[in-house]
Amino acid sequence: MLEIRNLKASYGAAPALWDISIAIKSGELVCVVGPNGAGKTTLINTIAGLHRAGGGSIVFDGRDMTRIPPHRFCQAGIAIVPESRRLFTSMTVLENLELGSYLPEARARRQETLEQVCELFPAVRQKLHMPAGSLSGGQQQMVAIGRALMARPKLLLLDEPSLGLAPSIVMDMFDVIRRVNADGLSILLVEQNVTMAMELASRAYVLEEGRVVMEGPASDLLQRPEVRKAYLGLE
Amino acid sequence: MTLPSLNLLSQSILSGMFIGGMYSLIGLGLGLSWGLLRQINLAHFGFVFLSAYITYHLSSVWGMDPLLALLILPPAFFLVGVAQQWLLSRFHISPFNSLLVTFGFTVMIESLIQHIWTADFRKLQSSYAEEKFIIGNLFIPVPELLTLLLAVLFAFAIWAAMRFTDLGKAMRAMAEDGPIAAAFGINQRALSLVLSGLCVALASVAGICFALTFTLTPTQIFAWVGVVFAVVMLGGLGSALGPLVAGIIIGVSEAVAMAVFAPSWAPIVSFSLLILMLLFRPEKV
Repeated sequence: MLEIRNLKASYGAAPALWDISIAIKSGELVCVVGPNGAGKTTLINTIAGLHRAGGGSIVFDGRDMTRIPPHRFCQAGIAIVPESRRLFTSMTVLENLELGSYLPEARARRQETLEQVCELFPAVRQKLHMPAGSLSGGQQQMVAIGRALMARPKLLLLDEPSLGLAPSIVMDMFDVIRRVNADGLSILLVEQNVTMAMELASRAYVLEEGRVVMEGPASDLLQRPEVRKAYLGLE
Repeated sequence: MTLPSLNLLSQSILSGMFIGGMYSLIGLGLGLSWGLLRQINLAHFGFVFLSAYITYHLSSVWGMDPLLALLILPPAFFLVGVAQQWLLSRFHISPFNSLLVTFGFTVMIESLIQHIWTADFRKLQSSYAEEKFIIGNLFIPVPELLTLLLAVLFAFAIWAAMRFTDLGKAMRAMAEDGPIAAAFGINQRALSLVLSGLCVALASVAGICFALTFTLTPTQIFAWVGVVFAVVMLGGLGSALGPLVAGIIIGVSEAVAMAVFAPSWAPIVSFSLLILMLLFRPEKV
């Protein structure tokens, strides 16, 4: 469903992605791991339309997305949970969720999706009328995921959803990710928490310095000595 | 300092509210474009005066009812606002540079006004200008009352639109985090054009009210910048109700200062309020 070939991206003159090729099949949960600065966030932002591709191609659902304007990505079926959440903090939780379903198709099913999101995150239901900025980190992360789900995407992009959260909340978060994936949503997950991400994902890519250095079934990669040494600190 | 009579004081408070209505009507569009588009649009003052002069012309020269201008000018000025935003976004002008560029626009508008209507004083003569109610001992002039009513009406209408419609929420979201708003399908370019059109249409409404109340002269454009900036900053950038409240507070304090001390004290009031606000509640500005 998503096919990325030879993707390049840069910040001004500084290249961030050199030559990335990845693919996600419908219903798959794929994770991208790698050290800080490897280009994981740039990759996910480029797929969401937040960052312009400098070369190569992004084909989603048979449609070339490489050159289309940023606000068309959501319409095509891609929604992002960005790094550090980036909620509209001065607006209420409900307004944040409503904005997730801004486009006509999602808006038509707003109430229904809102009900599903509240079932997924019961804590969010209590906070609907609070300013999003007043919530705890974990609750804000739930709202960020909820906002993306409100768009009724075909592909969900998650950038470090566990960052800065307490371990028990991280467990809940991963549980939700597993559930929405089981309902058929394709997911691209960028994570620092390599073990948990790899356990969840069917396939994984390892990114280093803007290039894919390893790829394969997540369970295989977890067994490789270089992965175990570099990311899990195991000999 | 002599204490003014109760009658003078209440008349002062009333006229302070009316002038406050004028401040807030001018400030409404200015603050919205400042807060939501991140443009400090000095041309807003030029547009207010241009609209005032056109209203004067429609009424005094062509004999139209000046209130008909409320149907004609806002749509036309909406298009001007769209064009201005198109121009500014085409050249990727930063907020600070927008101040300089739109200052240039204002100077151009001032020259245009001087060219067409000369630097002479112009006063719109209409049946409305002379009409007033008298309630008890208080005079209530109709044009001023209309200004205040329109200021309240538009402030509440825009507040409601920003709060309850998807379009309004999208505009607030866009102001807070444009790229993320775009990632959820919000077309920033199109919304910015609409918003800029709206702000300039509001400038034209303020201009029509201005023509009904004040004598026009081109150089007066810059005389309003200071106090309206104070109103907008006191009220909060991007807020719809803030400038209304701030405008009335500043208008009334000025009028009372004039009655209690001397007219020359009025300008000191607005900036003292602004400075106090910056000192004690800087996070609100």
